[in-house]
Amino acid sequence: MNFAIKVLTSIRFALATIGVIILVSVVGTLYPDGDIVFGSPLFLALVGILAISTALCSLTRIVPLWRDVRRPPVEVSDHFIQTLPYAVHLSGVTLTQVRDSLKGYMIRETRTGKTTFLLAQKGRIGRFGPHIAHFGVLILLLGVAIGAAYGNANPYNNKIAVIQEGGSQQVDGFTLRLDDFNVSYYNNGAVRDYTATVTVLDGNLIQTQNVTVNGPLTYKGLTFYLYGYGVTQSGNAWVAFQIKSTSGLPFVWVGAAVALVGIMLSLYVPHKRIWIKEADQSTQLGAISNKSSARFFREIEGVRTKLESHAHSVDHTTRSEEI
Amino acid sequence: MDAVALEHLGFEIALGTYLISSVLFILYFSIKKRRLVEMGFTLALFGFAFQTLALASRWLYAGYPPWVSTYEVMSFFAWAVMGAYVILNVKSDYKSAGVLIAPLAFVLLGFASMQPTNPAPLIPALQSVWIFIHVPIIILAYCAFVIAFVASVLYLFKDKQLSEARMTEGLNRQRDVASKDTPPSRTPESTGILANFSLEQLDELAYKSVAVGFPLLTIGIITGAIWAESAWGSYWSWDPIETWALITWFVFLIYLHAKTQNWSASIAAYIAAFGFISAICTFLGVGYVLPFLQTYISVSTGLHGYAGGGAISGTVLFCGILVAVLLLLLATRKRPPNATRAPPAQTDAESGPTP
Repeated sequence: MNFAIKVLTSIRFALATIGVIILVSVVGTLYPDGDIVFGSPLFLALVGILAISTALCSLTRIVPLWRDVRRPPVEVSDHFIQTLPYAVHLSGVTLTQVRDSLKGYMIRETRTGKTTFLLAQKGRIGRFGPHIAHFGVLILLLGVAIGAAYGNANPYNNKIAVIQEGGSQQVDGFTLRLDDFNVSYYNNGAVRDYTATVTVLDGNLIQTQNVTVNGPLTYKGLTFYLYGYGVTQSGNAWVAFQIKSTSGLPFVWVGAAVALVGIMLSLYVPHKRIWIKEADQSTQLGAISNKSSARFFREIEGVRTKLESHAHSVDHTTRSEEI
Repeated sequence: MDAVALEHLGFEIALGTYLISSVLFILYFSIKKRRLVEMGFTLALFGFAFQTLALASRWLYAGYPPWVSTYEVMSFFAWAVMGAYVILNVKSDYKSAGVLIAPLAFVLLGFASMQPTNPAPLIPALQSVWIFIHVPIIILAYCAFVIAFVASVLYLFKDKQLSEARMTEGLNRQRDVASKDTPPSRTPESTGILANFSLEQLDELAYKSVAVGFPLLTIGIITGAIWAESAWGSYWSWDPIETWALITWFVFLIYLHAKTQNWSASIAAYIAAFGFISAICTFLGVGYVLPFLQTYISVSTGLHGYAGGGAISGTVLFCGILVAVLLLLLATRKRPPNATRAPPAQTDAESGPTP
């Protein structure tokens, strides 16, 4: 059982599952009917396994991550600072000077005896990016599942409603009336767009809307799309509407948006941390970032060299005022 | 001069300058005069400026953005790839990467020039705000993947060059030590185009390009789904283009995870290269090969389609680019050390870097 958990929470397993999904999908694009492959038990099982793996990967990692990010150590040992990817001794520069030169950082400062500790942090949310993305994907998959289950159960889903111009159709307790249908043309005779003017009648509610190819009508969990048109033998225009259930759609869109936010956070918001320890005559500084380390360290170098050269120039003029 | 003539002029000039630029970059391989790279870049810039003019004119007189028909989409993609190349060279010097960029732009424009160019007014399904969002974002994502591919291929070639130089160095030293004539050890160097870049730099460029392209592709797929839902009644129908876009997305997802897990940079480079191949399949393969195959076997061509056909020439283009990419990748494979020679010395205290 432990082994199963270990495998299911390993990133390698998740990536391997994605690899298999990729291969199956490549094969799937060769079939005229997508459902043969993408609706198959194999594919659904793969997606299910990936969903479980994603959920477990995040669940097992998010608690230690939360602790590390929200309650990091401030009072650290010399060894801790010295083993950070960026570690320097500051000469002639105080902890306060560095702190005041850092812009946009969240500062935590404590003092024990003669030693002052400081931790400056920025971009903590970036560390949660991957988990936010995972969560978004799971919400999206939930929306897909709801749509498949409830949407297909809806008796009106995938049905076609044909309404004559001037006529109406009863759909799920309300009425749709086709008031007008118009085809607009370009100068060269090609079709520009189709516009059906439709009125929804539901008890006291009377609502009129134009339905176009890219602008369907949604009412009470059903969406009506322009599907076709024609003229009857007696010369009356008719319009066919395809009906789709909107079940699960909100989850799909919200899930996608959350996933996108998570992706951007994980790629563009580095979690930067700077520790400073000031004791007696020596000030040590160490820093770490989960991405873009080179740029981050250059930033700190810039602050440090500016402060140190300033300190040395003050020494040279033998003035002792605080900078 | 009216907008139509201006467009044709700009297009022809761009086509010609991309060709000459390609030739100059390729010449640099053998002649190795820096001047060739500078001239190649200047010409490419020149062509890019004229293409900008052409695309702007097109948008003006057609009345819709220049990325609908095959002619327009391919021209726009060539322009965007060139644009990405120019932007790349603003802060750093990647001019010699033009040896891969300029030929791609030329081939795309050449293909575009074979398609019907008359602007057809937008069909009802394309009368949507999403045409301003979904299409250009996807194309920009593909441009980022082009850069990622170029960086990855250059990385793999340099890695191979360095490893072969180290091996030769080791073998030479072994042979020289045996003959009691030890020359000073040299650090292996790259030659030619690869000397301009470091391995770390190329690896970082590939990563940054994917970091740009992956979110763009994500937004492109999502906006495509939103558009599909409002126009076709279904946000996802496993349409070949939708499926291949998702496959591309998954490959680069693996790439990004591989990077955070610190997998080797060369493995990551191959993953990025496969991601690019998947992008080619999405962009070119599905749009042209499937309609081409449809004449012979029953395949799904889906609801996506570039107006203005070109199934045969498009299939040729797709196969050509795919073969070129695969040959490039095969050429990056490291040859295993010759089994009959003794392995290089490892314990010599004065020796330089050992393999």
